[in-house]
Amino acid sequence: MLTGSNGARRIASLMRPSRLDSGVCISCQETLGRRQYASAAAASELATSSSPNPSTFPVVKPVYTINAGVVLSRPPQVTRDLEPFEKAYHFYQKRLNERLALPFTKYFYFKRGTPADVDWKNKIKERRTPARDIGNYNAYASDAWNDELLLGSKESDPEHQVEALVQDAESTANATSQDTSKKEEIPRPLSRVTEADKKGDHKSLNRLLPRTLYLLVQSKEGYWKFPSLPIEGDETLRQAAERTLAQTAGVNMNTWMVGFHPAGHHVYTNRKPHVDQATGAELHGEKTFFMKTRIMAGQADLSSSVEKLQDFKWLSKDEIAQFVLPQYYSNIKNMLADR
Amino acid sequence: MAVRESSRYLARAVPRAFAPSARPQAFLGRRNASDEAPSRRLSDQLDELETASSLTTAVSDSAAKSFDPATRAKGRKTQLPRSRYQFRSPKYDRGPLHPHQPPPPSDPSSRLFVPGPFSLPRAEQTYNSTVASDILTLCYVHTPPGFKVPPKAPRLREWDDSSPYHKNRPLRGPRGGDVLRLLRKPIKFNNIPEIERITVHSYVKGAAQENSGWLHVAGMAVQAISNVRVETFKSKASVATWSIAPGRDTVAVKAEMHGETMYHFLGKLIDVVLPRIKDWPGVKGSSGDSSGNITFGLEPEHVAMFPEIEVNYDMYPPKMIPGCHITLHTTAKADKDARLLLSAMGIPFYGKIVQ
Repeated sequence: MLTGSNGARRIASLMRPSRLDSGVCISCQETLGRRQYASAAAASELATSSSPNPSTFPVVKPVYTINAGVVLSRPPQVTRDLEPFEKAYHFYQKRLNERLALPFTKYFYFKRGTPADVDWKNKIKERRTPARDIGNYNAYASDAWNDELLLGSKESDPEHQVEALVQDAESTANATSQDTSKKEEIPRPLSRVTEADKKGDHKSLNRLLPRTLYLLVQSKEGYWKFPSLPIEGDETLRQAAERTLAQTAGVNMNTWMVGFHPAGHHVYTNRKPHVDQATGAELHGEKTFFMKTRIMAGQADLSSSVEKLQDFKWLSKDEIAQFVLPQYYSNIKNMLADR
Repeated sequence: MAVRESSRYLARAVPRAFAPSARPQAFLGRRNASDEAPSRRLSDQLDELETASSLTTAVSDSAAKSFDPATRAKGRKTQLPRSRYQFRSPKYDRGPLHPHQPPPPSDPSSRLFVPGPFSLPRAEQTYNSTVASDILTLCYVHTPPGFKVPPKAPRLREWDDSSPYHKNRPLRGPRGGDVLRLLRKPIKFNNIPEIERITVHSYVKGAAQENSGWLHVAGMAVQAISNVRVETFKSKASVATWSIAPGRDTVAVKAEMHGETMYHFLGKLIDVVLPRIKDWPGVKGSSGDSSGNITFGLEPEHVAMFPEIEVNYDMYPPKMIPGCHITLHTTAKADKDARLLLSAMGIPFYGKIVQ
């Protein structure tokens, strides 16, 4: 899973005849050149019979700039919103379960004569069932067959069920507490829609809690993309991705890079090859390899970016499609989570 | 907000398409079988699809208001014949040729019907949205094109025929022991490890030594925390100091959870119980049966921290709440992968990690 020490690998590659011009990356050259002890005999047979060098490929001439990109994402923070069908289905199954399950054993949960027991007796009359989330329904009554909800009823909505639970807990707390003057207040769960959602603040990490958010930056020319920078020197893709993250989005983030392999790539071919002034090589375009990264804490900060980036946004997959170029989106969409 | 209009795209894309490329681009005359798939084909069959779901279909207000089956049934003067409102699945299987056949088990009127699911567990959603894709990325092994996987030695070794007695002998086991480990295939999109089932097992020594009350309490406690019926087991081993004889004493309860129940249990365990255990170092790194199943134990005071037991803690006889062993069965073929999955789900490991 993890790569070993790179130093040993480099030394090993120096000892062997160079295959640097074969168009295969350094780590792949290492894999191809590794001596396979188990298959040494088989390989020697192959070498005599077939082509002299089976591992080489048609040599690819065009030169591309290799970029390391970072797909920095914040995973979903809350469960997703259920579809109306799912809500209805779960609710109906709960009522069916109520009809089939053994009745609630009250004596195991409420000791006789306690305030909780008195409260229970009062409530069960109006609620007709021990369950709080199936509405007013008695599975043992003669009208238990009428277990389907009518159009427009709210009982299958999770918000309604939570509210019913909280009100139930509040009335229990009020009925059983010694102090009748003070009204008990049970805290409601926090809202699933945050301030940032209401304001449409695309820079906040507190938006769209049920979705995965991705960091996109706007380049000098105004294009939206994932942060990416060219690989320098001998560094590995992972090292380059870490440097890219620090040099574009700042160091004020606690991140975790998932593994050592890219999750996707994007190839951009120039209309005409650019000639590099320094080396005189023809550059046909750029290839960006994206490393998957998770953000744990912190926030992006473009003030020290080397590329003079204009802006950043935290976007979900659907929103990314509206901001980036269609060609770019078709290359990256398969590595983004649907949710 | 920043949606660009398509005309600008077109203006940029059209000259680009006709510009001569510096690199000779070979015509890619390749067709995939998947191009013919209905999902790929921009077919005219799309207009066969209904635009609205049945849940959003508009129903006239008068029809919705007048529909009330309960009052309609009450207002009925004569009772409907039984066959109109009651169907009973046949009690016995009378063969495929009998006219009265039982409905499928998914039908609520079937005797085999089990209701559910009742919710979409949070732990399951976390696995599907975050953990599974991360494991896939972490476990990716790059094989460059042209790389041939070195052939492995066979798991069962052959005899070398140095002796005539080797003929027709069964094959030898692997070196270093006779255990044939599970084959660990590379992790791809279709075999990402996931949690298969969780077993809660509790060995109640008091059930044999004192009375059966211990077993009843243990059964109630395990049932409460796991939401499934428990099975009971008799002892297999003889423990003379506890006066336990094999086959005589019922000494253990076990609950096995799958699917939705399992994920709810896992969520409670990870987010409610384990964080509240004082000075708990985590699951031991050497735990596991080397085929992807990890076991750890909980003390009685930790079992009492489950919310289901906490709400009516007084109802359990004091000191009788059992400890338990929890086994997390995963589809991983090696403990290393199982540990990766479980630590991603939030279970900490400590000590020397044995791979």
